[in-house]
Amino acid sequence: MPETRFDLHELAGGRLFDEAPCYISVQDRDFHIIGANRKLIEDFGDHISEKCYTIYQGRAQACPECPVARTFEDGKEHTGEQTLFDRRGLPHEVLVNTSALRNHSGEIAAVIKLFTDITIQKELEHRLHDSLSRFHNLFDVVPCYISVQDREFHIVEANQRFKDSFGDRLGGHCYEIYKRRSDRCPRCPVAETFADGKMHTAEEVVIDNAGHRVYVVVYTAPVRDSRGNITDVMEVSTDITEIRALQDKLASLGQLVGSIAHSTKNMLEGLRGGVYVTNLGFRDNNQEDIRTGWAMVERNVGRLSAMIMDMLYCAKDRSPRRLPVLLPALAREVVALSAPRAKDVSVKLGAEIAEKMDTLLGEPRDIHSLISNLISNAMDACVTDQNEQKDYRVVLRVFQESSQAVIEVEDNGAGMDQETQDRLFTMFFSTKGTFGTGLGLLVAHKVATEHGGTIAVKSAPGEGSRFTVRLPLEVAK
Amino acid sequence: MTAKKILIVDDEQDVCVYLSRLFQENGYDAICAADGNEALAKVQAERPDLVTLDLSMPNKSGVKFYREIKSQPELSGIPVVFVTGITGLGGDSGATERFYATRHQVPPPEGFVAKPIEAQEILGLVNRLIGL
Repeated sequence: MPETRFDLHELAGGRLFDEAPCYISVQDRDFHIIGANRKLIEDFGDHISEKCYTIYQGRAQACPECPVARTFEDGKEHTGEQTLFDRRGLPHEVLVNTSALRNHSGEIAAVIKLFTDITIQKELEHRLHDSLSRFHNLFDVVPCYISVQDREFHIVEANQRFKDSFGDRLGGHCYEIYKRRSDRCPRCPVAETFADGKMHTAEEVVIDNAGHRVYVVVYTAPVRDSRGNITDVMEVSTDITEIRALQDKLASLGQLVGSIAHSTKNMLEGLRGGVYVTNLGFRDNNQEDIRTGWAMVERNVGRLSAMIMDMLYCAKDRSPRRLPVLLPALAREVVALSAPRAKDVSVKLGAEIAEKMDTLLGEPRDIHSLISNLISNAMDACVTDQNEQKDYRVVLRVFQESSQAVIEVEDNGAGMDQETQDRLFTMFFSTKGTFGTGLGLLVAHKVATEHGGTIAVKSAPGEGSRFTVRLPLEVAK
Repeated sequence: MTAKKILIVDDEQDVCVYLSRLFQENGYDAICAADGNEALAKVQAERPDLVTLDLSMPNKSGVKFYREIKSQPELSGIPVVFVTGITGLGGDSGATERFYATRHQVPPPEGFVAKPIEAQEILGLVNRLIGL
């Protein structure tokens, strides 16, 4: 039993203790509660003479790091955080402050313990912690590259996605990491945001760890300190590479539609002319007009149907049949069919075709249109060149190289720069004014790849081009 | 009186045949050129009374030809009719727009006909310009 019941009212202004908006107790050396203010008694019950750890915490022994015990030891003030259970068994997070009460001879007679309920603050602290970690998760998983940059364009913070794609190189310069440049970019949205405090946006091409070009839309926003000064700029970049690729595809599709419309118009013009001339021939019984007019009709019907076949071919995904293709014979047939046009446009058409080859398995019609498209493309390249000093020629070579059939079409026409060559097979692409629809090479590419082969081009402006198709052969047993 | 002569400049052979027969039927002489260089040679050699010109030929040879004849005093009086498919799409259809964008350097053509060609339209225009 404790020696005395400590009357709080004996302490200065006892009423003050009762009305204080916190809990106050006085405890002896054995942790007995020897005094309590009204609020403590109301909320936690009257437990005078009982041990604090038993009643408030349901423990059998004193708590570790007990601030009351420490004050008894050193006479100084101590603080601590504890969870106490009130008379209804509800937990309260409290902040405890203790200080010594001394008797007349200066010995520590008791310890006064003041505890403030910080349940709400604790709750807020948890929420803050939660939202911070949620923010961090968001920062890391958001499908954008986020970096925070200082005035010298150092990356001071970056999200996980940024680090995954561009490396964990905090402290490096943005332009080095994003663009592999040695100095800052001429137009920089980060610099603009530092200058005017507003959001800015830009489209950029950056290079990732793997060396791939990544198209991004960049948004920048200022990061301010509590006084409103801009300390950093946050840069959020969204990868739009796929959208760009789609845009390119759509644009080239638009170009193709336009070029088909244009070609169709020309062919219709030719048909109309043919009908007109034929009619003149019938009217005057003029055989020559009839022949000329009818040839125009036939030619344009042929062009129209070839174009429509190409369109249909490009529109479909399918795997070709595997029929034996007599490549040398088929190649000679295409050359014979192309000869009249070659003569028309004054191009010398040559052929070097192997006598005998292993069997090519595939769709004969497709291989036919592959070769005729390449020849017709080569002739177009000669016609568009318009150099009077040149004798234009197109050569078709067909031969076997180990287990591959090689189809080579070479011309000494206009040739192409690197950019044109790069776009050749991936786009519907025509450089030929009224001549081409841009379908021919697309068809050639499609046939080659559908037959498990490849197509490549070697060209230089003014020097002509060489297209090489390689198709796998069934080697004779 | 000799028939007036029209030079048809078009890289589409069938269009050349069509227009020459159309003009011949209607009392004109017609000659053809397949590109700008050939056209320039024929203008100088044959001195046609009118030229129909397809602007959307490869290598811009139509535009070059037009600038050439409009800058030579002895040729600039020959009326020129543009015959072209301005769909805004495909081919070198931008040629016409580009031409108009820079036309302050050369006078505008005397006439203009869009493809597909309406026989009566082009004949009417030619008759108005050089009359029979």
